[in-house]
Amino acid sequence: MEPQTRTEPDERAPFVVSDSAARRRDGAGAEAGPLGPFPPAAALAATLAALAFAAILYAWLRGGGSIDLPWAPTLGLRLHFRLDALGALYALLATGIGAAVFLYSGRYLRLHLASDGRPARDERSFYAFMLLFAVSMVGLATAQDLLLLFVFWDLTAIASYFLIGFDRHETASWSGALMALLVTGITAVALLVGSVILFVAHGTFSLPEIIAHARPGTTLTVAAALIAVAGLAKSAQVPFHFWLPNAMVAPTPVSAYLHSAAMVAAGVLLIGRTYPLLAQSQLVLDGMLVVGLASMLTGGLIALTRERLKQVLAYSTVAQYGYMVALYGLGGAAGAVGGAFFVAAHALAKSALFMVSGAVTQASDGEERLGRLGGRWRTMPIVAVAGALAAAALAGLPLTVGFFKDELLFKAALKRGPLVTALVAAGPVLTLAYIGRFWGRIFLGRPRQAPTGPGSPPATLVAPIAVLALLSLAFGLWIAPLESLAGAVGSVSLAGKPAGISLAYYLDARATNLIALGVYALGGLLLATYRHWLPVAQGFARVALRFGPERAYVSSLRQANRLSSALHRVEVRDLRRRVAWVLVPCGVLVAAGLLATPTVGQYAIGKLGVGDAPLAILLALAAAAALAATVPRSQLVLVLVLSASGYSLAAVFALFGAPDVALVAVLVETLFALLFVAVFSLLPDDVLRREQSLSVSHSRRWRDPLVGVVSGFFALAVVWGTLSSPVPSDRRVAERLIDLAPAAHGKDVVTAILSDFRALDTLAEVTVLVIALAGVAGALTRRRSR
Amino acid sequence: MSPSNVLPRAVARFLLLPIGMIAVALFVKGLSSTGDGFVAGTVAALGIVLQDVVFGHREAERLLPVRRAPLVAAVGLGLGLAIAFAPLLFGDPVLTHLPPAEEKVTKLGTLELATSVAFDAAVFLTVFGVVVGIVRELAWAAEREDEE
Repeated sequence: MEPQTRTEPDERAPFVVSDSAARRRDGAGAEAGPLGPFPPAAALAATLAALAFAAILYAWLRGGGSIDLPWAPTLGLRLHFRLDALGALYALLATGIGAAVFLYSGRYLRLHLASDGRPARDERSFYAFMLLFAVSMVGLATAQDLLLLFVFWDLTAIASYFLIGFDRHETASWSGALMALLVTGITAVALLVGSVILFVAHGTFSLPEIIAHARPGTTLTVAAALIAVAGLAKSAQVPFHFWLPNAMVAPTPVSAYLHSAAMVAAGVLLIGRTYPLLAQSQLVLDGMLVVGLASMLTGGLIALTRERLKQVLAYSTVAQYGYMVALYGLGGAAGAVGGAFFVAAHALAKSALFMVSGAVTQASDGEERLGRLGGRWRTMPIVAVAGALAAAALAGLPLTVGFFKDELLFKAALKRGPLVTALVAAGPVLTLAYIGRFWGRIFLGRPRQAPTGPGSPPATLVAPIAVLALLSLAFGLWIAPLESLAGAVGSVSLAGKPAGISLAYYLDARATNLIALGVYALGGLLLATYRHWLPVAQGFARVALRFGPERAYVSSLRQANRLSSALHRVEVRDLRRRVAWVLVPCGVLVAAGLLATPTVGQYAIGKLGVGDAPLAILLALAAAAALAATVPRSQLVLVLVLSASGYSLAAVFALFGAPDVALVAVLVETLFALLFVAVFSLLPDDVLRREQSLSVSHSRRWRDPLVGVVSGFFALAVVWGTLSSPVPSDRRVAERLIDLAPAAHGKDVVTAILSDFRALDTLAEVTVLVIALAGVAGALTRRRSR
Repeated sequence: MSPSNVLPRAVARFLLLPIGMIAVALFVKGLSSTGDGFVAGTVAALGIVLQDVVFGHREAERLLPVRRAPLVAAVGLGLGLAIAFAPLLFGDPVLTHLPPAEEKVTKLGTLELATSVAFDAAVFLTVFGVVVGIVRELAWAAEREDEE
């Protein structure tokens, strides 16, 4: 493999068309071309998102609100949501940017599907998962309970898996999706563990209560560090950042949403939400500062060297979220407010930039390499201007919202001394350089290759970009709304203390202004002398990509695969061995238990009267049938012998005065016999006959009976011991249930247990049944298609 | 149709109604004596499976709407989930049954109008749908196997 494709994950260009695809495209493009009606699914999704945005905005302006449903109060489980400032900010981002992206997706996705030769109906799953993602994001933003937070956290990961892997026929597509799912999913376990630690310490999963009670200490530090790890991985921070560039295989609208404003924002959201806990440990804050600075520099340097549009933006996202994490790590009011402000400012700009890259690629017939673009301002002037605004906002130029995000960054850094300030200022310098190169190489100069493709993108691709870019500009001129929202978010993160940060343009020689001027000068210099230092950055990128954490991910995945196949060989391939692997360890454990406890007097032998004769006969029958099951070679006879044993036991229950149990036993035995026969009829006759005529191998002749005797003996020992000395409390539980049955309007205690006392169990079992039906149907259908 | 098939066919046909009646009886009498939704659902499903075995699944599908079995299972599960989570809307914990303990139950003959009975009905539908559905899947798979 040549180094270039190795270092830059082979991103599938949505509109690179091979010859055969081009031919298909001509056919499919005719009906799904840019001139067809706007897809109703996209219109519906955009409307829903816009309505949700309006509703959330209205509710927030009316002072928020909360929902608190104690759905299982005995377990302390609550559905507790509150629309506080933090929740409002992220929910508004998720729905607002969501609406813009849905509008953008309408045309984009049709073209994308057409270029792949896929039917337009494939877009349905796209909108379904995008909406699921948006709903999970709103849930995550407003959840006030750690368990609830965890559930929504994983829901976003699952939705993102299907969205990144939308081009499911591409290997790179699903391996990128799997990487995002594994990296964010495995680190989510850290969030769960941290939550459980807090639960053990405080007896509740409710965040406001934990925050009210938490005191600094080792327990809190460990829990906070674990939660921070989950947040950092979700926000694509070093050393977990590698999933983001690989996730660029997603269709562009997915990246514009998930990888700028939603999925990666969730990590910072978690940090902001649990900040009152994290901030109590200086160790965690310092760790976040280091990780943030490392991500900022790594992402910025690699972004300078990337050729593909979306790769530049992906590494830029790594760097920008590095700022936010660093801001939270710097701490204080400026840090907490800055982190929140930064999320909003970055989401507007980055979402627009992703959509610019999609529009440019679409209009250039799939070209997505910077080296082959250029001069595009001629054919798409509106996109060029909107892109310039968004790029300026990302680079923190004055008159855009980005200026204030950098001002807050410098303000927070100045409190930590000159070294931290210098490191922090290096980030914006790199940003200015790589985003300037990005924009300039697309839009300025002469076209480096004669433009192919339609030339100018359709209006529904341009409008969302223009709206987001204008918002970046508008908030740069009129900062008050965003300032007050970010201030309120900051005070949530500071556990209620007012943040007291005011933002405005000051035309004087204050430190932040001087740093900003220095940043512009250095960034401009970098951009002007691009050719001279490019080899240095490329060298860094090559080393970072070759020896980076992605290597560890790949090798650990390979090891896990190897372990899994080894286990499969040992345990799963042979059914008998598999059963033995369950039974023998059980027997050994029971034996250990028996040896460790006194057994004298534990085993009683009851009396057998004449009246028990039917019982004894039935039990003897069951035992005889069980023994007989070892003899037959024909599978059908074996099934019948086994059900004979089962029916005898059912009769025993009937004699014991348990008609319900007996009835169930008879029915289940009947069903199983039928199912066995049905399954045997699925197996080819010659396979069944061959199995019947196989002679028992020497090792199995001894091993199987031994396993049977050992496990049977210990099962007998346990059952006998239990029956010899019934525990009084068991009887009391049973009597209590019988007493309670009339209160549940039932005279039959079994039904009362099933539908009332243990109804939750019943519900779960019934759900499992339906899943089993789906599994059977799936497995058998797959057989057919193979 | 071979002559040896006539008797099983007649018997299977004839038994369908009684089996259904027994299933309903097991369900309705569930709260006061032996039987509940699970048992009743299984009995009813076995009645259908009997038709499958005797007539073959193609003819059974012509005679009875068994193709809808997965739908029945889904409806049952949906009903169960709805009954389980509806109390949340009124601020009660999951699976709070109505009417509450100690209060009078409205009766319709011997059938008591309580949410626990409706929950039992959900179990009935799910079990019935799943058993018939699985047997049907297996029957179709076996037929495909024979064709190959």
